[in-house]
Amino acid sequence: MRRVAVIGVGVTKFGKHDRTSAELFAEAARDALIDAELSPSAVQALYYGNVVGSETEKQLHTGPQAASVLGIPTVPTTRFETACASSHAAFRHATMEIAAGVSDIIMVGGAERVLNVPTAESTEYFAYASDASWEQTLGLTFPGVFALVARAHMAKYGTTEEQMAHVAVKNHRHGVLNPKAQFRKEITLDTVMTSPYIADPLKLYDCCPFTDGGAAVILASEEVARRHKRPIWVLGSAAASDYMLLHDKKDLSRVPATERAAAAAYRQAGLEPDDVDVVELHDCFTIAEIVATEGLGLFEPGAGGIAAEKGWTSLGGKIPVNTSGGLKAKGHPIGATGAAQIVEIVTQLRREAGQRQVDGAKVGLTHTLGGNTATVLVSLFGRD
Amino acid sequence: MTETAVTLKKFFETARDGRLTAIKCGRCGNLEIPPKEFCDACGQRDWKPLALSGDGTIASYTIIRVAPTKHAGDAPYAVAVVKLREGVSLFGRIVDIPLDRLAVGMPVRFRPLVIRNETAVGFGPA
Repeated sequence: MRRVAVIGVGVTKFGKHDRTSAELFAEAARDALIDAELSPSAVQALYYGNVVGSETEKQLHTGPQAASVLGIPTVPTTRFETACASSHAAFRHATMEIAAGVSDIIMVGGAERVLNVPTAESTEYFAYASDASWEQTLGLTFPGVFALVARAHMAKYGTTEEQMAHVAVKNHRHGVLNPKAQFRKEITLDTVMTSPYIADPLKLYDCCPFTDGGAAVILASEEVARRHKRPIWVLGSAAASDYMLLHDKKDLSRVPATERAAAAAYRQAGLEPDDVDVVELHDCFTIAEIVATEGLGLFEPGAGGIAAEKGWTSLGGKIPVNTSGGLKAKGHPIGATGAAQIVEIVTQLRREAGQRQVDGAKVGLTHTLGGNTATVLVSLFGRD
Repeated sequence: MTETAVTLKKFFETARDGRLTAIKCGRCGNLEIPPKEFCDACGQRDWKPLALSGDGTIASYTIIRVAPTKHAGDAPYAVAVVKLREGVSLFGRIVDIPLDRLAVGMPVRFRPLVIRNETAVGFGPA
């Protein structure tokens, strides 16, 4: 298998936009091409993530649409849908296509537009990623899914609402340092603790926002990447799935798909959790960050809440998590999220993260979760 | 070609009449909520329907306060994953229990519900 590198990255400002998801992707992809000093004609395929386009934009076949707006209408284009992990799944498949020698340069990215519809409507569309017969009929929401995880984690390990609140405070503090973040405002523990419940025990400030945005990365074979000034190598990329239905899961306090995907990615890279210097992980809700830090092996099961409280995951801490502000503060345009996390890790490993730079970062990890904890992607990156 | 042990339609038809049906693997004894074709534990396909008591305890619960459009009129409402006496878990809506009394470990009992013309799983006081 050939080595694969990221040679270009681009991301839009996250927040509310008056442009289609295709336009948002095209802006990010344009910036990725400029970053890579490549012409659009060099791109041999587009692997694309978009989730609720058929609902919010009444648009199917969003892959070719995005490629057309970007100006690469004739390359083979495939849309991936693994809920919130879509563009990370796209990334893994693109990595395999280059590693296998089929293509040399592939564009990977995604985009989402949801702020053009009311919150109750987007809440319903996101809930389509839970089971239609068993869960949607009962009015389960995504905050509801993670509230069930939170309650189980609290019952098993004694995790507190205040420990969860620390995750939100930390990610907002990081978001202030990211010009592309949706929220660039510090919040206090009190802000989180006094915000209204959305799905107990999760409060408004435990939840990431709805977001419009796009992100793109350009992958290249080693031969192409060697001609590039600052390639960031893909050291491992793995996917895992789990039962989709909540009631089929054996232990709601854990996400076994994270544990399996992480184990596979570490094995591919020949690395251990201790080797990782900076992490972008899927904090769609504060509890999701706590459970992910445990599943990725950064902390023991049950210790994620304490780690958040002690500041171990903060910039300057033992293992900085979500330096971009995470989904919580940077925002979560679901189809773009996996690619946007990779943009941040590449920026960190290039040492171009400015005020939020992790000193001496050599190895970075991205973790993206889809749906009812049923899809997880984990990738590892390194610099020369 | 053998028939699927318990289809989704069959499960909800019998649930509407107040009876819950799991499927038990004839080879390894694994118990699952239908529908499933193969046993995840042993890879075999030898399911037998098994009537469940409907008694269980709350494994986790939440109170949905911001609901999807279709359920907005019901909010706030509680949903829970309930661990049934037989060992399998089932997701359902909590009914007739005050929201501030809910707790992990609380005993509950199955109650068939019809929500917007669809049969759904409910749990009420034990």
